Amino acid sequence: MEKASKINRRTFIAGSAMGFFGLPLISSASGKAAPSDRVRVAVIGLGSQGRSHMNWFNALPDVEIAALCDVDKIRLEEAMKQLQSVNPGSRAELYTDFRHILDRNDIDAITCATPDHWHALIAVMAFLAGKDVYGEKPLTYTLAEGQTLLKYLQKNKSVFQLGTQIHAGENFHRVAEIIQSGRLGKIHTVRLWKTGGSPGLGFPPNQAPPDTLNWDMWLGPAPYEEYTPVRCHGSYRYFLDYSGGVFADFWCHIADVMFMSIHPKGLYSIESRGERPHDGIADAPKWIDTDFKFEDLNVFWTTIPPDVPGSDKMHIGAHFEGANGSLTCDYNNCLIRMGNEVFNDIKEIPVTLPRSPGHQQNFIDAVKSRNQPESNLAYAREMTIPMHLAVISFRLKRKLRWDYLKENFIGDQAADYLLSRTYRKPWSLPA
Amino acid sequence: MKTIIYFISLLSLISLSNSQPDSHEFVSLFNGRDLNNWKPDKPGGFEAIDGELVTRSFGAGNDIYSERAWSNFILRFEFLLSEVGNSGVFIRRNHADPGSGFEVQLLAPWTPWRDDLHCTGSLYGHVQVTNRPDETTGVWYKMEIKCDRNIVTVSVNDKITTIADIDTVKTLSDKPLSGLIGFQGNHAEKEGQFAKFRNIRICDLDSEPGYVLRGINAKNELQRFQSLDASVKLGAQMVQPLAELMSGDDPVVKSVARQALFDIAAKASDPEAPARQKKEVRSAFKKSIKSTSSAITVNYLRWIAGMIGNTR
Repeated sequence: MEKASKINRRTFIAGSAMGFFGLPLISSASGKAAPSDRVRVAVIGLGSQGRSHMNWFNALPDVEIAALCDVDKIRLEEAMKQLQSVNPGSRAELYTDFRHILDRNDIDAITCATPDHWHALIAVMAFLAGKDVYGEKPLTYTLAEGQTLLKYLQKNKSVFQLGTQIHAGENFHRVAEIIQSGRLGKIHTVRLWKTGGSPGLGFPPNQAPPDTLNWDMWLGPAPYEEYTPVRCHGSYRYFLDYSGGVFADFWCHIADVMFMSIHPKGLYSIESRGERPHDGIADAPKWIDTDFKFEDLNVFWTTIPPDVPGSDKMHIGAHFEGANGSLTCDYNNCLIRMGNEVFNDIKEIPVTLPRSPGHQQNFIDAVKSRNQPESNLAYAREMTIPMHLAVISFRLKRKLRWDYLKENFIGDQAADYLLSRTYRKPWSLPA
Repeated sequence: MKTIIYFISLLSLISLSNSQPDSHEFVSLFNGRDLNNWKPDKPGGFEAIDGELVTRSFGAGNDIYSERAWSNFILRFEFLLSEVGNSGVFIRRNHADPGSGFEVQLLAPWTPWRDDLHCTGSLYGHVQVTNRPDETTGVWYKMEIKCDRNIVTVSVNDKITTIADIDTVKTLSDKPLSGLIGFQGNHAEKEGQFAKFRNIRICDLDSEPGYVLRGINAKNELQRFQSLDASVKLGAQMVQPLAELMSGDDPVVKSVARQALFDIAAKASDPEAPARQKKEVRSAFKKSIKSTSSAITVNYLRWIAGMIGNTR
C-alpha cells in the first residue's frame, strides 16, 4: 500500500485527538491499534446495512472510520450522531458525493451499502482510485457489471469482499467440510429456498423529493423516474430497476453455502416461474421458483420450503441430496440424515477449512496482506451469476440455455440484451 | 340516483375508449356437425344432430365444456327445452372443481322449487331474475350471456332478465374471472326429456383493444392483470395506447401499462415467436418512440425495444 502520503495526516489526527480530550488512554481503552496501523475506511450508503458497516468496522481495533457518505443529508447526520455516540472522538468527515471520498488519498478502503444499481460503478471507481472495497450483496445489478468489476479488480490488484457476513459463521464452514468429506456421497440435487416474496407497495402518487435528498444522485446510473418514498429508502429492492427483490436479496446468502461446499460448475439451463405483485407499483417477484441445471447437478430455488424434513422450521435454507444421505441447513442449523438416523454433525470428519476471524476483520486482514478474503470477487461473481439469469428468465417468462464459458445465452438475443444495461448519462461504467 | 351514477360511470367508460365504439365480432362455437371445440364429460351426453346440439341424458355428469377458457365475452345461442327439460350454461368454470364458476339456469317450469333464484335466466342459487322470462316449453328462445368482468347480464329474447355485479354478491365474489364455458347435460327427474341448442356464437371482449384498455383502469387488481395479459396477447396494436397510458398520472394505470409493454416486447423477442409478430411489434415500438412526448416513457420504450433488436 502507498502509505507515505498518509502518515503525516494520521499522526496529526492522533495528536489532535489526544490533545483535545487530554486522555491518551482512549486509544488503549477502546482496544484500538496505533493510528498508523489503522486501515482508514469510508462508509458509502447509510441505510440500516450501511450503519451496520459503520458500527462493525468502527469496532475493529485496526480500523478508523474516516468518512461517511450518503445522498440523504438526514441519514448522513443521523449516522454521524450514532458513530459519535460509540466513538466520541470520531473525526469522520461527511460527504454527499462519494467521488470526493475517492479523491482523498488518505482513505484505504470503502464499504458500499448503496442500492444495487450503484454497486458496480462505485466499486470500479474505487478500484481505479486505489481503494479496496467491502461491498454489499447482491454483488451487482447486471451480470456484465460483474465482469467489468473483476477486470478492474485484477488490473488494479484491489481487494474485494462481498458483504455476505453469514459466510464467516461456523455453520457454513462445517457444512462445507461435511459435504466435501464425501460421506453423503455425490451431491446430485440442491434445494434452496427463502419464504416470502416482494410486496407490491401500493400505488402512491409521485411527489417532489425532500430537499435533504439528492434524488438524481440516488438514481445515478438507473433510468430516470419521479420520486415517491417507497421507491427509495428501505424498499427500493422491490423494484426491478434497482434490484431483484427478496430473491436477489437472499440468493447470495443461501447459495453461498452451496458454492462453498460444492462450487457447482457448468450451468447450462435456467427456467423460472413466478408472479409479480398485483397490488402495487413494485415489480420484483411476489414469488419465483427456478430450476437450474449444472453439469451433474440440479438446483431448485423455491419461494416456499421444499418438502424435505425440517424445512418447515427454516424460512431460508439449503438441502443437499447425495447418494448416501442428505443435509439440510440454514445459517445456524445443520441436520444430516443417513438412513433413518438424524444427527447435527459427523464428529470424525476433520476440521480442514480455516475459520474466519469475522467477515469484516477478514477483509481488513486482506487489505493488509493483499491476499483476497473469503467472499472475494471471483468467488462472489460466480455465485451471483445464477441469480442474474433467474431474474432474466422470470422477466422473459421462458426457459433459457446458457453458455457458461462465454457467459452468454444460447439463441436468445433478448436474454443476452438483459445481461447489461446502459447507464443514464452522465454515468458510465469503464469498458 | 343509482341509475344516474351508473349512467355517468358508463359515460366515463365510453370516453376512455377514445370514443371508438368496439364492433363486436362473433365466431361460431358449434359447427352443427360434431363436437369440435367441446370436451364432453363422458360420451353420449351431447350429440350434434342436424345443426343442433342435443342432450337427452338422464342424471348428472353428462356435461360438455369448451376447450379453452373464456374470461370476458358475449355468448349468444338459442335453446329449446322439452316438457320437463333441465339444463344450464356453466360460466368461468374450472372443470376439476365443480363448485367453481356459476351456472345460468335453463329450466322448464315443472319443479315445485322453480323460484326466481332457480328459474331460467337466474344465476342458479346466486342471483335471481328481476324480469322473469317466458318459460313455455317446446319453443326456441334466444339467450345472451354477457360477462363483462364483474358485471354479468343475461337476456332472453333480447330482454334482460338478470344483471349481477358479482363483486357485490357474497357467494360469487371469490369466483375466478376466467374459466370454461359448459352446457349442462339434461338431468330432468324423468326419462325421455331433452334440451337443444343451436347457433352458438361468441364474441371475445378481450380481443377488443378498447375493452382491454378500459380494464387496465379497473379497481379490481385481478381484472387489471387480466387486462394486462389480454394486452400482451393483442401485441403490436396495444403499444401506442399503452405508451399513452404509461405517460399519464394515475400510478395504477401507469404501472400496469408499463408492465404490459415489457411483456409485449418480451413475448415478441422469444426465439420461437413468428417473424411477422416480431416485425409488427418492432415497428409499433419505433412509431411509439417517435410519437410519445413523455421522456420517461420514451426512455423506457427504447430500453425494452432493445429486446427485439431495436436499440436507440
